[in-house]
Amino acid sequence: MGLLQEIIFGLVTGSYIAIAAIGFTLIYGIVNMINFAYGEYLTLGAFIGLVAATMIPVPLPIAALVAMVGGGVVSIVLARGFFTPINDTGPVPMLLTSIGLGIALRNAIRLVGGRGARYFETETATFRFDAIPDVSLGPVDLLGGFFVTSEQLIVIGAAVAVFVAIHGLLTRTDVGIAMRAMGDDESLARVRGIDTQLIRDSVWVLAGVLAGLAGVLMAIQTNVSADTGFSHILQILSAAILGGAGSPYGAILGAYVIGLVLAVSTAFLPSSMTGLSSAVAFVILVAVLLVKPSGIAGKEVREA
Amino acid sequence: MVSNTNNNTSRRAFLTAAGAGGIAGLSGCVSFGGGDGGDGGDGGSGSTDGGSAPDTIVFGQPGALTGAFDFLQPGVSQAADAAVQHINEAGGPLGAELELVRRDTAVDPQEARTVATQLVENDDAAAIVGLFSSEINPLWDFLQDLQTPIVTPWPGSTFLDTRGGDKGTPEDTSDDEWVWRTVVGDTVHTGGSAVYALEEGYESLGVINGNTEGERSYVDGFLSVFENNGGTVEERVEVELGASSYQSALSRLFDADFDAFLVSMPQESAITALSDWSDGGYGRQPILSDTLAQQEVIDQVGSDLNGAWVAQPGRSGPGYDTFEGIYTEAGDASINSWTPPSWDSVQVTALAIEHAGSTDPEAIQSSLGPVSRSGGTEVSTFAEGKEALANGEEINYQGAATPVDFTQHGNVFGTVTINTAQDGEFVATSEVSAADVREYVAEGEY
Repeated sequence: MGLLQEIIFGLVTGSYIAIAAIGFTLIYGIVNMINFAYGEYLTLGAFIGLVAATMIPVPLPIAALVAMVGGGVVSIVLARGFFTPINDTGPVPMLLTSIGLGIALRNAIRLVGGRGARYFETETATFRFDAIPDVSLGPVDLLGGFFVTSEQLIVIGAAVAVFVAIHGLLTRTDVGIAMRAMGDDESLARVRGIDTQLIRDSVWVLAGVLAGLAGVLMAIQTNVSADTGFSHILQILSAAILGGAGSPYGAILGAYVIGLVLAVSTAFLPSSMTGLSSAVAFVILVAVLLVKPSGIAGKEVREA
Repeated sequence: MVSNTNNNTSRRAFLTAAGAGGIAGLSGCVSFGGGDGGDGGDGGSGSTDGGSAPDTIVFGQPGALTGAFDFLQPGVSQAADAAVQHINEAGGPLGAELELVRRDTAVDPQEARTVATQLVENDDAAAIVGLFSSEINPLWDFLQDLQTPIVTPWPGSTFLDTRGGDKGTPEDTSDDEWVWRTVVGDTVHTGGSAVYALEEGYESLGVINGNTEGERSYVDGFLSVFENNGGTVEERVEVELGASSYQSALSRLFDADFDAFLVSMPQESAITALSDWSDGGYGRQPILSDTLAQQEVIDQVGSDLNGAWVAQPGRSGPGYDTFEGIYTEAGDASINSWTPPSWDSVQVTALAIEHAGSTDPEAIQSSLGPVSRSGGTEVSTFAEGKEALANGEEINYQGAATPVDFTQHGNVFGTVTINTAQDGEFVATSEVSAADVREYVAEGEY
């Protein structure tokens, strides 16, 4: 198969990561903390979606909405319980608290949810486009036939919908504009009359909603288990840092860079190195940070 | 305002550094929370080196209570518990109460190291009746230094083909290695699978496997027989486990031209990969590794999997019927390929203690060969063996999974069962005899 097919695979992987990375980076930029427990927010969202889909039961799109609402509620409850009381202690205590909370949540989920993986019941349709001609560049076929599944289209579509909604929120609403103001300078935002605690709460809810959606999408593709979110936190964190600290647009860009590198490196690395595709993505992360410590989009977004 | 800007920059610099540090930390650890305590236990065994008999003898069982293989643990636990109950009802080894202390390793080598130490040092375990390939191989030197017999139902690794056992000299422990396994090694059942593939006319192969020791070992075992007997490997792709998609790896694999493809991954990752394979319509004959003969795999992947086969250690040891009768009364966990070997590991180790008349580790080690190899009265349970030993007879334990005739390297041979996915379930469709597989294994190399 050609490069076009690999790009599609990369876009799908990037879409999962991007949705979660936006939530992660909003917390990163506005609440001033790295939330290592964010993977567990995804896991909780996946479990809420699964419960809705199997026990109530409701159709999968409704279950995803339930997971988003549930994710938002969980996020604000956890924030009020564990992070808001230490808001003023600085990033280190909050970081350590989030690590501890993540461990506690993961083990609590394992205790309550059980050891084994659970699965959403889905039907997948595959759409083939075999008539696309090959366009070779050396040993690489740039085009060629490809396929895309209904699951992949849903993931990409959901990501695009999230991007549009986030862009609209940040540029067209008072809450979004206040979030950007707080991200740039919290003291100045407070002087201008912005209720910073309300904005923090809004960010927690929004991050939880996105985690719920990302958790369900990941679970549909893989499974629901105590490690569903934790197994992806490395990629989410990397996307946020690669794109630029606190920048939702940068997180989207970083997520797709990582997704595409994962896909293309698996396809083109020597056979003995295909298991190292993640390492290639992180080498790129390190290289970008060395050249541009603020991340790919860090500076540009701060100026916007 | 200047101050604010500086603070902001510092904050961002810190966050970036902390994030990068976090990535390094996270990438270096499998899990922060893998240390579930398991059943614990109060130990309290005491051991004897030939003097007065202890009141309690402890066997330690490192287990996969969590982690990638936790779905196999219930059957293994139930078999071990049933064996312990049976042994105690028969009077116990040396008249002592046998106790099993089970602790979770989550199949994590570091956790396994801690658990093995706890079992020996804190629980006074006379022997260990667990540990996976992924744990034994990296901990090999540590386990030798532990100097406690490890009789495990789990590991298939080819690493153990020439490691372990008493080297055929039970009276001389100086050349011994402390690991024995009651499950047939990957060399045997992967060899059986390779033999079956060649017999079915599949002469070229694609391989997709996880990047852990267990998955690599399975594939290496398969390929050593497959390639030595005329088969060729056209493409091999190694993947990281737990990915959200394996489409890129599959796309690369299926660009090659081959007849069948071998999948060696833990269940959850394999379901993701096989679902991707089904969605992509890649086709061709799937051959699955031994842990994948699970109903969940068929349920999640669907009818495209029809015709896929799995070679598993057979369940046709001479003592299987005896085991099955006792096992089914002990609980409702389903029997998997590691369940009868779990029963065998407890039985043969208890018999070794009875034979040795001591819980001294060297004495147990020296007796594992004599109670299992041919020549004595054949027994299929501890009760029969205890009685025969009391009558002054030598014994030959006949196991549930295999005859448990330990080779010089502490390995066992047995039949290989071919299970094929048909109409929504795995069905035993063929069997490769131990003798057929043995032809492909060089003398002294297993």
